Amino acid sequence: MRIGIDVGGTHTDAVLMDGMEILCAHKALTSNDVRQGIIDALDQVMTEGRVDLNAIKAVMIGTTHFTNAIIERRQLSPTAIIRACLPTGSGLPPMCDWPSDIASVLGYHGYMIGGGHLFDGRQISSIDETALDQAITDIIYNGVKSIAVSAAFSPANNLHELKIAAQIRRRIPDASISMSHEIGRLGILERENAALLNASLSELAAKVVSSMEAALTERGLQCPFFVSQNDGTLMSAKFIARYPALTFSSGPTNSLRGAAVLSGMKDALVVDIGGTTLDVGVLSNGFPRESNSHIAVGGVRTNFRMPDILPIGLGGGSLVTDEGARVGPQSVGHKLVSEAIVFGGSTLTATDIAVANGSVKVGNTSLVQTLDPALVERSTKRIHDIIDEAIDKMRPSETPVPVILVGGGAILVSRELDTASSVIVPDHAGVANAVGAAIAQVGGEVEQIVSFSKQDRAHALEDLTQQAQAKAIAAGADPKSLRLLDIEETSVSYMDDEAVRIRIKVVGELRHTK
Amino acid sequence: MKTIGAEHIKDLCNGAAFLATGGGGDPYISQLLAERILHQYGPAQLISPDDLPDEAFVVSIGMVGAPTVTLEQLPTVDEAIFALNRYEAVTDKHIDAVIPFEIGGGNSTIPPFVAAMKGIPCVDGDGMGRALPEAQMMTFPIYGVKPTPAIIVDSFGNSELLECADALSFEKEIRAKAVAMGGMITSAEHGMTGALVKRSAVPHTLSFATKLGALLRQHDGIIDAIEPDLFALFNASDYGVIKRLFTGKVVDTTRKIISGYDVGTATLQSFNDASRKMEILIRNEYLVASINGRTVASVPDLICIVEQETARPLNAERMRYGQRVAVFGIGCTHHYRTARALSVTEPRAFGFDLDYIPLEEIDFP
Repeated sequence: MRIGIDVGGTHTDAVLMDGMEILCAHKALTSNDVRQGIIDALDQVMTEGRVDLNAIKAVMIGTTHFTNAIIERRQLSPTAIIRACLPTGSGLPPMCDWPSDIASVLGYHGYMIGGGHLFDGRQISSIDETALDQAITDIIYNGVKSIAVSAAFSPANNLHELKIAAQIRRRIPDASISMSHEIGRLGILERENAALLNASLSELAAKVVSSMEAALTERGLQCPFFVSQNDGTLMSAKFIARYPALTFSSGPTNSLRGAAVLSGMKDALVVDIGGTTLDVGVLSNGFPRESNSHIAVGGVRTNFRMPDILPIGLGGGSLVTDEGARVGPQSVGHKLVSEAIVFGGSTLTATDIAVANGSVKVGNTSLVQTLDPALVERSTKRIHDIIDEAIDKMRPSETPVPVILVGGGAILVSRELDTASSVIVPDHAGVANAVGAAIAQVGGEVEQIVSFSKQDRAHALEDLTQQAQAKAIAAGADPKSLRLLDIEETSVSYMDDEAVRIRIKVVGELRHTK
Repeated sequence: MKTIGAEHIKDLCNGAAFLATGGGGDPYISQLLAERILHQYGPAQLISPDDLPDEAFVVSIGMVGAPTVTLEQLPTVDEAIFALNRYEAVTDKHIDAVIPFEIGGGNSTIPPFVAAMKGIPCVDGDGMGRALPEAQMMTFPIYGVKPTPAIIVDSFGNSELLECADALSFEKEIRAKAVAMGGMITSAEHGMTGALVKRSAVPHTLSFATKLGALLRQHDGIIDAIEPDLFALFNASDYGVIKRLFTGKVVDTTRKIISGYDVGTATLQSFNDASRKMEILIRNEYLVASINGRTVASVPDLICIVEQETARPLNAERMRYGQRVAVFGIGCTHHYRTARALSVTEPRAFGFDLDYIPLEEIDFP
C-alpha cells in the first residue's frame, strides 16, 4: 500500500491506495508547519484506513513549497554561477535577464570561464583552470555555498560541468552544487537560470526534507518516501535535497496523472474547473503533454520540462454580464458562497446559471427562478462555447477527444461538448492531486543532437535509450518494469540534412513498493 | 527616427518578427544582446538612404547559420565589431555606415548595436524588406552589388576572407563555412557606395519595423482593433498594399527538414465556413497561400500570420493545431517586381510550379 500526500497552497490532500484502488481519502487546510501538516495527513488516512504500519511500502509527497519560495523570494540562499563558455557567450553573462528583486536576493556572483562544447561535440576550449580557481577563491571569499555550474552544450556533453563541479567540491567540501545538465535542456540561458533557481533552494530543501523525514519517523513509518516531479515521475528523498526545482509544477502534473488513474483513461484532455479559472491539460500515454515554450518562474525564464497547461478565465464564480452574452473572466472567487445569488448575494455568477438551468442543486434554488430564461440559455451556451474552444485549442487534432472533468466547477458542464467524444467525471476527483502523487513512477530522460550521417538512427536511438534507462534505474526504478514512454525527434534547420535533436524518456515502477 | 537605442529594440524585434513571414527563429537572444550593448554605448545614429552621400562606403552585416546553435553558443560582444575591423584592414577601406541585410528576424538588431559601438551611423533600410533564406535573394546583388569581398568571423577570433564570382556561389560557400565554423558565423559583406545603397536597399525598414512592433502591442493585442492602424501604416509605406487574407484556426501542419530547410504545409479553416480552407506552403518562411485551391498570395509578396488574441507574429516552427490566427498578405516593395528580381524570388525559385501574380492584381473573394 502507498500513501499519497499533496501539499498545495490552500489544501493538503491525502489518499491511501492499494495498487490502483483508493482505500480512503482526506482533505484538510494546509498548515504552515511542513512536519505537522504531514503528520496530520498521515494520521487521518492511517486511522480511517485502519492499516498496519508495515503494510505501507512508500509515501509520495507533492509540494508547492519550492515554487512559492521562488515567487515570494523568501528563504533563498545567496548563489553563485560558473559558466564555461568563453570565448563565446561573453555578450550575455549569467543572470543578465533576471528581474532585479530576485537577482539581488541571490547576489551578483556570476563568472564566465573558458570551456564548453560545440554542437558537434568539439570543445569550445579546454577548461581555463586558472580562471576557475580565481572564481572559486572569490566565491569562498564571499562566503557563498550554493553554486550553479553551466557549460555550452552540456546536455550533449556534460564533461566540463562534471570537472568544474569536482574542483568546486575539492575546495568547498560543503558546497551545494547544481549542474545545469541535470536540471534543464538545450538553451543555455534558460538552463543555467533553472540551475541557479535550484541551487538557491538548496538550504531550504535540506530543511524541508528533514521535516518530512521527522514526520514519518514520528509516526513510526520505516518505508522510503518520494517527492513528485514536474514530469509526473518521482525522486527519492536524497534527490529532492539536490533537485528541489524539479518540483515546480508538480501540482498540475499530479492533477493530470490522478485524473488518468481515476478515469482509467490514458489519452484524454483534462479540464480542471475551479472558482475563477479552468485549466486544460493533455494526457498522452498517461502522462502530461509537455510545453515546448519557455516558462517564467517568479519572472525568471527557464526551460524546465513542465506540462502544457492552458488557463482560461472561467470558473464557478465567474461573473455573468451583458444579458448572459459574457461569462468571466472576472470572478467573485472565494466569495462565491456569500455573493452568488443562490447563496443570498446579489452577483450573477456561472454557478447561478448552472442552478437555474437545472444542472445542479446548490444553495437556495428558488432565488434564481425569476431569471429571464433567454438569459439563462444564452449564458449556458456561452459557458459551453468557452469550454469547447479551450478544448479545441489544446486537442492534438480535429478528432473529438475524451474529456475528463475535475474540480468543483465541473458542475458548469451540463450539455454535450462538440469537441469531446465523451465526458467523464470520475469519483474522488477532489483528491486527484494526491492520487497522482501516490501512483507516480520513476523515470529517466536524455536529450542530444545526433547526426544520422555519423551514427545510424537505430544505433543512436538504442544508445540514448540505454542512457535513459540507466538514469531511471539510478533514480530507483525496477529494471524489469522499464518502458519507453516517448521519443521526440526534431530536425535542426540550416544544418546538414541529418542533424536531429532527440529526446528519449523511459519510466518504470519503483522497486519493492507494490 | 533619428537614432535607435535600447528602448526601441523590443518594438524593433516584434516588428521584425512580423516581417519575417514565419522565419527568423526566436529573436530573444538578439534582443537581449542589442539592448545590453545599446544601453552601454548609447543609441546609434540612424541615417536615411536619401541622406547618405553617394561616395560613402557602406557594409552590410549580420549572422549566418543555424539559429538552434545560438541557443547554446551565445554571442560575444565583439564578433560584429571584429568583422568590421577586419573588413577595413583587409580591403583598406574606411566604413562610413552599416546596413542590415535582412530586416525579418534577429539580424535586424546587429547593425544598430555595432554602429553604436563603432561610432558610425546605421542606414535605415535593409536588403530584403522581409526574410528570405538565401543570399542571392537579397536586393543588394539583384541591383548590382557584389557580395564579396566578405569577412566571416566566428566566436573564437577566427576570420576568413571570401571572394566569390557571384551571389549563388557566395550563398553556397558561406553556408558551408557556417557549418564548418561551429554552426553560426558573423558576416560583413556587400560593400557598396552610398549611390548603390540608394539604388538597391529597401529604405526605411528599421524605423518602419519599430513602428510596426509598437503598433502590434496596442489594443491589448486584439488584431481586429489594431487592423485600421496597421493598414494605414502599410498603405503609406513602400509596401503599398495589405489585405486580410484569412481568419481561422490551424487544423493541420506537416513539416520535414530537406537540405537544411524546414519544409511543410499548414492548413487553416475559416471560423464562419468550415468548407473554406487556406493552405500555406512553408520553406522556413510562409511562401504561398491559397484558399480552396486558388492562390491568393505568393513570394516575394509577404504572408504574415499573427495570433488573433495577442497579435503576436507566429513563427512557422511554433505553428500547431488549434491556434487562432489572422493571415495578412502584403505587397513586396518595387525592388522585387523586376524580371531579374523575380527570377530568384518567385515561387518557381523555391520549387513551386506556379506563376507569381502581384497581390494587388489577385481578385480576392
